[in-house]
Amino acid sequence: MLLLVGVVLMVGWVSLASTAAERPTLGDPRALLVLLAMLAVVHLVLTVDGRRRDQVLLPVVGLLMGLSVLLMSRLPQDHVIQRFGSLELPLASLQLLWIGLSLGIASFIAVGLRDDLVLRSYKYTWAVAGIVLLLLVFVLGDETNGARLTLHIGPFAGQPSELLKIILVVFLAAYLADNRALLAGQDSRLGPLRLPPLLYLLPMLLIWGLALATVVIQRDLGAALLFYGVFLLLLYVATQRRDLLALGVVLFIVGGVALYAFFPHVQERVQIWLDPFATAQGAGFQIVRGLYALGRGGVLGTGLGAGLPGVGGAPSIPAVHTDFVFAALGEELGLVGSLAILALYAVFAERGLRIAAGARDEFRTLLAAGLTLVIVVQAAIIVAGNAKLIPLTGITLPWIAYGGSSMLAGGIVLGLLLAVAVEDRPGAAAERIGWRERVGDAARAAAGRVERVVR
Amino acid sequence: MAPALLRVGFGLFIVFAALGVGLGWWGVVEAGRLTADPGNPLVLAAREAPRGEIIDARGVVLAESVKDGEGGFMRHYPHPEAEPLIGYLSPRFGASGLERSFGPELLGIGDGTGGGLLRKLRRDPYDEQDLLLSLDLRLQRRAMRLLRGERGAIVAIEPSTGRILAMASTPTYDPNAVVAPTTGAAYFQALLDRPEEDSALLDRATRGVYTPGSVLKMVTAVAGLGSDAITPQTVYPTQPAEEKTGMPVEGFRVRDGHHPQTGEEALALTDATAASCNIYFAHTGLNVGGEPFLDWGARLGFGAPIPFDVPTAASTLDGGDGFVDDVELANAAYGQGQAQATPLQMALVAAAIAERGSLMAPHVVDGLRAADGSIDRIEPSLWRQVIDRGRAESIARAMRAAVESRLGRPYAGKAKIPGVPTAGKSGTAELGGKGEPDSWFIGFAPANDPQIAVAVIIEGGGTGSEAAVPIGGELMGDWLALGP
Repeated sequence: MLLLVGVVLMVGWVSLASTAAERPTLGDPRALLVLLAMLAVVHLVLTVDGRRRDQVLLPVVGLLMGLSVLLMSRLPQDHVIQRFGSLELPLASLQLLWIGLSLGIASFIAVGLRDDLVLRSYKYTWAVAGIVLLLLVFVLGDETNGARLTLHIGPFAGQPSELLKIILVVFLAAYLADNRALLAGQDSRLGPLRLPPLLYLLPMLLIWGLALATVVIQRDLGAALLFYGVFLLLLYVATQRRDLLALGVVLFIVGGVALYAFFPHVQERVQIWLDPFATAQGAGFQIVRGLYALGRGGVLGTGLGAGLPGVGGAPSIPAVHTDFVFAALGEELGLVGSLAILALYAVFAERGLRIAAGARDEFRTLLAAGLTLVIVVQAAIIVAGNAKLIPLTGITLPWIAYGGSSMLAGGIVLGLLLAVAVEDRPGAAAERIGWRERVGDAARAAAGRVERVVR
Repeated sequence: MAPALLRVGFGLFIVFAALGVGLGWWGVVEAGRLTADPGNPLVLAAREAPRGEIIDARGVVLAESVKDGEGGFMRHYPHPEAEPLIGYLSPRFGASGLERSFGPELLGIGDGTGGGLLRKLRRDPYDEQDLLLSLDLRLQRRAMRLLRGERGAIVAIEPSTGRILAMASTPTYDPNAVVAPTTGAAYFQALLDRPEEDSALLDRATRGVYTPGSVLKMVTAVAGLGSDAITPQTVYPTQPAEEKTGMPVEGFRVRDGHHPQTGEEALALTDATAASCNIYFAHTGLNVGGEPFLDWGARLGFGAPIPFDVPTAASTLDGGDGFVDDVELANAAYGQGQAQATPLQMALVAAAIAERGSLMAPHVVDGLRAADGSIDRIEPSLWRQVIDRGRAESIARAMRAAVESRLGRPYAGKAKIPGVPTAGKSGTAELGGKGEPDSWFIGFAPANDPQIAVAVIIEGGGTGSEAAVPIGGELMGDWLALGP
């Protein structure tokens, strides 16, 4: 599978380099080769680890990461420059760094997490830690574009909300798993609704509500939408109760209307969404430029590297490396390309949900489902925002958009999913062949081949 | 939990399908419109890319891209007489005229779908096209000469097809001076500094709105005959007396009295047109009624900007707010009041009557020629069937009388082309005592088989017959004398 990914990415790279040089050329594929090498290493680690696990996740994520590298290489490199002491890293290299760290974390978790007690037993601790992190940003964070999202520690800037979404999924999965039976009950009533005992519903709601409120106050509306959506869906998965889901949707609409009524910031966002062309030079500028890009892309796209006509040296789409990566890819790869990217996320979703369905216990099921949802719903929100189907929010396209925190969080998700994805079958223990032996086997097999050829 | 997972998965699938549809909307359905939008960075970024030529009806190049010596391209305009219609393209000052409105086509990025689909497979998105105009530079030059740099405009149109043959507006500017890299800024600033009424950047032909004066009476004639409020034989018995005393309308008196030679005779359509009788047309306007008058005007294009290849201003009969009373209606019916018209609009009125009731859609771009020589023609199309042949014929006859009959000669006689049946109407638009009136003329020739219809206005030119009328006649005569 990885080989296929490698081929696809190399084709993309050649196309990009050729467009830039206006003749067929290989360009300087170091960045891509580094990525492929890293993916190969991860695969090796997982194989050596010995346990059978899902084979599709890594290639899918790898392909998405590869697209990211391609796009970041294609954009003007001075878009983002991070300095580490005397070392300056421009856009593509920086993204590659994040990808590398992300894959490292993924491998570590995938292989190292044998026991989920750490996650499970300390769910409240995790939740509290998450909230503390959020409050830290609220107090100490930097404001960009009217939203306090970033925390600077030394030379690093991070967005804790990315980490928070994972922590809260872990918490929720654990809580729901523990109290599932009770939650499915119908002991307390709220008017015509039969709700689970409030006592059990409350802590969960409270902590989740706290997270949401903080996010809303910090104006990270995209994250708020994500949290709420994932929360509702996980609740539904855990309790199977459609009426709770309906109630959640109603509350969402009520909340949305209230937000619209009370916050001019929200009103502005909705206005821009409804008619961005009216303010095409002002507030609607971003989304209008994004739409132009999608229009330019048409069905087949302009070709990697051939789109994004720059005006005055700047790319034609603002925030092209974060909020609008999808529009940029949509322009260069066309409708066909955008649908392919959506398909990749869909495949990821299918895998993730399948892993969830086949997981060994309820906690793992909910964890896998929650993590899958967090990625897929996030992708849906930002793609819908780019395509003017919902108001634009400032969240990233997982594994493709530029962002250290986003990429690292994605790596954690990948790692956790791979950890859960271990296929446990009866007698699996017997299949845990030690890694030393596997290496030995592989070496012997290779040597045997050589022997046969020489003979 | 598995069934719930399944449902969630299904739900996600639906969401993704919706996303796919949404993306398809932008990538396929709206792609053409988005790509051709002047605000699209593709168009903006390509200001220094070569674009197609703009060419007149006989192949004369009116605008072309030349190398600017710095690796890019700039525009060169060999014949500035075609301004401001052609417009300019300057990396600094943007684009105007046809250079602006047909920017995407000239660059070759006009259509994002269809044939563009195959084009997408090619690396180069630019596929410059040439604009083939119906404009004839010879006629355009004559028109500019006749205007003699005074403030005014001429529109000449081919009534059977709607093709614009000449469109001149003065004062005008030199587009080469605008795009010149070193002197452009100063030149453009000087243009901007001119007082508004003397503006050289305004395209008076399409966007100058003026009180039409008596030329608007032809619109009243259309409304009167079309709504059957009058027939060609209708007379108003009170009219001769009212010539002397004025026509009372709600306490106001409509004045005329400038054709005493008709004496006590009550005039019907032909004579009223020839003598340019205010009273007759005021009566007719009142008989038609405010709302119907507006409807008939709308048929001719009043009330909204005329769809054309460059932006146009809307002409109006009532100032946009309805006829507040009969006084306004009566005044508008003979071309004063709150009536305002662009020269293009009045040319269309002449063209509609010339073509016996059929108003063809005005256009100046005849076709787009791709690099491989294939031409995408823009076929003439009927814009409005204003009135039937019979009624239009009556008005055409009246307009012919206005130029050729003894009664009409003092007013529009100077438009007569020797040896050719000529039809027309003069206009003298009073501006409320602020200097000389605007001089107007509309007409077509030959009257029985029109090849050309014109509208001429000279700001402050005095009476119609002093300025606009002879210009109109001479221009039409020139066109008929010109060979292919």
